[in-house]
Amino acid sequence: MLEVREVVKSYDGRAVVNRVSFEVRPGEIFALLGPNGAGKTTLIRMITDILKPDSGQITLEGRPVGGGHKHEISYLPEERGLYRRVPVVEALAYYGRLRGIAARTARDEAMALLERVGLKDWATKQVQALSKGMQQKVQLCTALIGSPRLMILDEPFTGLDPLNVQLLEEVLRERRAAGVTVLLSTHQMNKVEEQCDRALMINRGHMVLYGAVRDLKRQYADHALTLRASRLPAQVPGVREVEAVNGELKLTLEPDARPRDVLKALVDQDVEIESFSHSAMPLEDIFIKVVREGLGLDHGQSGPPTADALVEAGAAGGRGR
Amino acid sequence: MSLSWSKAFTIAQREYLTTVRRKAFLFTVFGTPALYAILMTLMIKPQVSERAHQMRNFRVLGVVDSSGAFAAAEPEIRGAIATDLSMLSRAAVKAESYRVEVRSFPEQTEAERALRAKEITQLLVIPADYLETGQLRRYALSTNIFSSVDERTVSGWLVRSLLKSRVDSLRIERVARPARGMTLYTLNPQGGFEPHDERRELFDFLLPFALGMLMGLSIVIGGQYLMQGVSEEKESRILESMLCTVNAEELLAGKLFGLGAAGLTIVLAWIVMGAALAGPALAMAQVQVSPALLALAVVYFLLGYLFYGGIMTGIGAITNNMREAQQFSFLFTFMNFIPFYMMTSILGRPDSGLALGLSLFPPMAPVAMVLRLSAPSATVPPWQIALSLALLAGTAWLVLIGSARLFRTGLLMYGKSPTLPEILRWVRER
Repeated sequence: MLEVREVVKSYDGRAVVNRVSFEVRPGEIFALLGPNGAGKTTLIRMITDILKPDSGQITLEGRPVGGGHKHEISYLPEERGLYRRVPVVEALAYYGRLRGIAARTARDEAMALLERVGLKDWATKQVQALSKGMQQKVQLCTALIGSPRLMILDEPFTGLDPLNVQLLEEVLRERRAAGVTVLLSTHQMNKVEEQCDRALMINRGHMVLYGAVRDLKRQYADHALTLRASRLPAQVPGVREVEAVNGELKLTLEPDARPRDVLKALVDQDVEIESFSHSAMPLEDIFIKVVREGLGLDHGQSGPPTADALVEAGAAGGRGR
Repeated sequence: MSLSWSKAFTIAQREYLTTVRRKAFLFTVFGTPALYAILMTLMIKPQVSERAHQMRNFRVLGVVDSSGAFAAAEPEIRGAIATDLSMLSRAAVKAESYRVEVRSFPEQTEAERALRAKEITQLLVIPADYLETGQLRRYALSTNIFSSVDERTVSGWLVRSLLKSRVDSLRIERVARPARGMTLYTLNPQGGFEPHDERRELFDFLLPFALGMLMGLSIVIGGQYLMQGVSEEKESRILESMLCTVNAEELLAGKLFGLGAAGLTIVLAWIVMGAALAGPALAMAQVQVSPALLALAVVYFLLGYLFYGGIMTGIGAITNNMREAQQFSFLFTFMNFIPFYMMTSILGRPDSGLALGLSLFPPMAPVAMVLRLSAPSATVPPWQIALSLALLAGTAWLVLIGSARLFRTGLLMYGKSPTLPEILRWVRER
């Protein structure tokens, strides 16, 4: 669907986006992650053909972005506004017309979208009469109208109440079911875990993570077992450290130990295990850990992985390191 | 520059309709000329009324004649003064007659008492050596800016009284107003001499003024709409999502056409209203605007609008809000109107170096050239028109290219005003 290859963009000699490569597959919800100032907005602006890359290539279904198929991409920027002194339906239909729909069809589609987001009764009111939350829903509709094939949403959940967050999630699922591809840029990691298939994280313009969300989580899980057991022998093969956490035991494993071998050893020693789990790190913690590594704040591993390695791993559906 | 004209048209259509539906637009179309007319009436009508009022109140002129030259003077002064503003219409000019009694006093003291008691309106003291020196003293209880009306009346009486019984009454009248019946004959377009109409003289001034003003205003109004539109959209963060669907050039082209059309609509509405009101007077004074002048005015408007529109768009794109944008735009708006400050020179000598220089300098060319072309004695050589148009077109093109580049980059810059080196770098970036 969307392919970004070796894209570089510099300002004043400083690379804001540096050799970033990834692909977004048809019908998936793809997360673009990164701390503030990582280069996400610049990358999105290049994908939407608002900015031109210094080098590299961005293609949508094999053709360079921009030109004749600009209307196939819609973009909901983080900083967004609407024409305030026009009726809601007209403000919306205008975006539809710019995406190549006839005036009447655009108006019909605008009405249908307003009905979907619960704003049908406000269609003829001026935009400035709407509350902030309502305006945000209209802004979302500007990205939906005209049936774009790729939707780029930058922090779409910000400022929405829980009901409207749920509504947005439903709409995203509907669009995905209809074959629309979504590129989602957000700092809300729980939404990425719930909604997204794959993710790319950039930091200081470099790729630092790329792959399927579940693989990233698996790979960044602590190498540890958490279990509730009757007792624990003094020595367990493959276990480096044991600590009690909230009535459970956390067993940090040796790097080469496999969880199944450790569990088998405990059972062989007649330990009664009531429950066990392989520790998982929330995506948010992975984000913080990776960003800190990239900034050199973590004492563990250092330096971002090479772009080539990430692309190879990410394209394979795995993680980047 | 890849342009989708259908998108540009959609944008132009929206910009035009949104603008002309605003109440502020209707106010500009109808309110501005109405306000202007009200202001002019408020300025001129009281002047005329006040002059008539002054004469109505001038009832008695006291005279102390020590020279003896006015012994047989007229005992009254009669005259008339225009009291309406109908000079531009077919209606006859209304005139109000007045009569001033002339009362002689043997001594100044007695005359001054009469003046203080308001028995007389003014006092004229003629010294014994008046014929040698010409010195006179006039006394009044107060004075105002319209006192010249009284002075003219008294002067007329002095002339008539001095000549009375020395020359015949006809000569007296001629001496009092020797050129009253003089008619000026000027060369007409057909090559013959014809009586010069005073109203025509007025139109000789008003026509270039009106055409130049319309040219200046239409360019400025369109440019201001552009700057306001860009500035508002930038301020309200609308543009980034739009730039995903349309490119900066399409957006710029749509705005230029749509808002230029809105500016032109205002001017056309003013022309229609002006023609309806002043048409009969124009026809009576045989005022004709040549098709060639109109065609050139349209070309100058288009190029001038593109030039100023480009500048205003650039200003809107690099500033953070409307207030900032207006501060920057003031200088350029002022430049457009500079030829008006030199209008007397341009109309008086349309072939002078100053007039030529202004009409070749692109920021002032549209207004200056229209003033030159519509001046009564204008004969602008074709090469000057061609050079002026070429310079304006070339500059407008360069401004538009620079403006499109500023527009593309500046629209996405929020919160920080760019420095001059940054602006120059954006203009250079392809």
